[in-house]
Amino acid sequence: MNLIVGMGGIQVSNDPKVTIVTYALGSCIGLTVYDPVSRVGGLLHYMLPESSTNPEKAQSNPFMFADTGIPLLFQEVYHLGGDKRRMQVKAAGGAQLLDDSGYFNIGKRNCIALRKILGANNVLIQAENVGGQVNRTVRLEMGSGRVWVKSSGDGEREL
Amino acid sequence: MNIVEAVLQSVTQLPPFPAVIQRVLQLVEDPKTSARDVVEVIQYDQSVTANVLMVCNSAYFGLRRPVHSLGEALVRIGFNNLVEIILTRGTSFLFFQACQGYQLQNGELWRHSVACALLSQILADRLNQKKSPIQFTAALLHDVGKVVLTGFVRDHFEEIRRRVQEQNLSFLEAEKATLGIDHAELGGMIAESWKFPPDIVAGIRYHHTPFLAPEFQDLVSLAYLCDVVALMTGIGGGADGLSYHAYKEVMEQYALKEQDLEEVIIDLESRMKKVEGFLNVP
Repeated sequence: MNLIVGMGGIQVSNDPKVTIVTYALGSCIGLTVYDPVSRVGGLLHYMLPESSTNPEKAQSNPFMFADTGIPLLFQEVYHLGGDKRRMQVKAAGGAQLLDDSGYFNIGKRNCIALRKILGANNVLIQAENVGGQVNRTVRLEMGSGRVWVKSSGDGEREL
Repeated sequence: MNIVEAVLQSVTQLPPFPAVIQRVLQLVEDPKTSARDVVEVIQYDQSVTANVLMVCNSAYFGLRRPVHSLGEALVRIGFNNLVEIILTRGTSFLFFQACQGYQLQNGELWRHSVACALLSQILADRLNQKKSPIQFTAALLHDVGKVVLTGFVRDHFEEIRRRVQEQNLSFLEAEKATLGIDHAELGGMIAESWKFPPDIVAGIRYHHTPFLAPEFQDLVSLAYLCDVVALMTGIGGGADGLSYHAYKEVMEQYALKEQDLEEVIIDLESRMKKVEGFLNVP
């Protein structure tokens, strides 16, 4: 069964039959976490780096922003029995337009926010497929913890 | 027959553009048009009427009491909203089908088109411009060229992709280099053949190259901005991805900052949720 994560959304699961998937990540980032022992995990699709852009929106939908969404992703997976020390963390997305000006670099800033937040919490990113000009689809298989990324104009590859 | 000739040949096989929608487009261009004129044109078209009522009564407007007639719809939601519903519902047939060449499933190009149309409203608000159904329409229809070019893009995809990757071209430039025509240029031709007003034709033709537009600069720049913001969000994003040029000059033209784009994206997310209910109806 597929659990679909929309823009600015999240899904967590402990059901080995489930695959969590998010489509069409442009400059947004799809972040997966998975505990291979308790076999629980989740996927967050955040759109923007900082909740300070719109604190009101961050109240109603914290998953839209890296700084409010990422901690909640971990917490929700802990609630299902995930352990921080075992957590496998993978990320995809953060694409950019062909831009030399820096006016349109939300993708890049989404990547920077990711490293900053995870770094501050001593969490390593195990694998990532970020940047470039491609749209990406990400799938997390709850049975195996395998993460698959499909880039636009390309096949699907394991991350 | 070379590729360009084959592309132009296949334009003739497009379904005719609905006469009633074309008439509404012409009315909207005329400042003397009254709401009553529009209602008169569409009232005998059952599918347009049914569509207007469906959207009026959807979560998007959040009306407390349901709307039962066109006249009532006009009073309750206003002229601009009414025209925008007619144009949106009247053109979905074009964009709804899958576009294999761009690796877009059923409904994805439509999502992208609606996102751009909503962005035209959001940006108009932010720039303190009057909302205009013409701007809305240009944003909604900007990718019409993809509907025809998709088959040719599919057949020459590897070549296009190689040019994007190895020669550092945008997807648009790679289309032009490979096929002899790109989706924006073709879209402009299609819009002309359907006798769309010249400002909407320009919005479609120059939506990736706003500085080449000989006139209607404001409308064209906004259509460009709507498209790049939609591309960044990934909504209805396809094989061309974000392989298009970002022009800071457009941002400077409107004195927009990066933070403005982020707020625009936040606004778009809420509005997309509201239209979700009828986005999946072709």
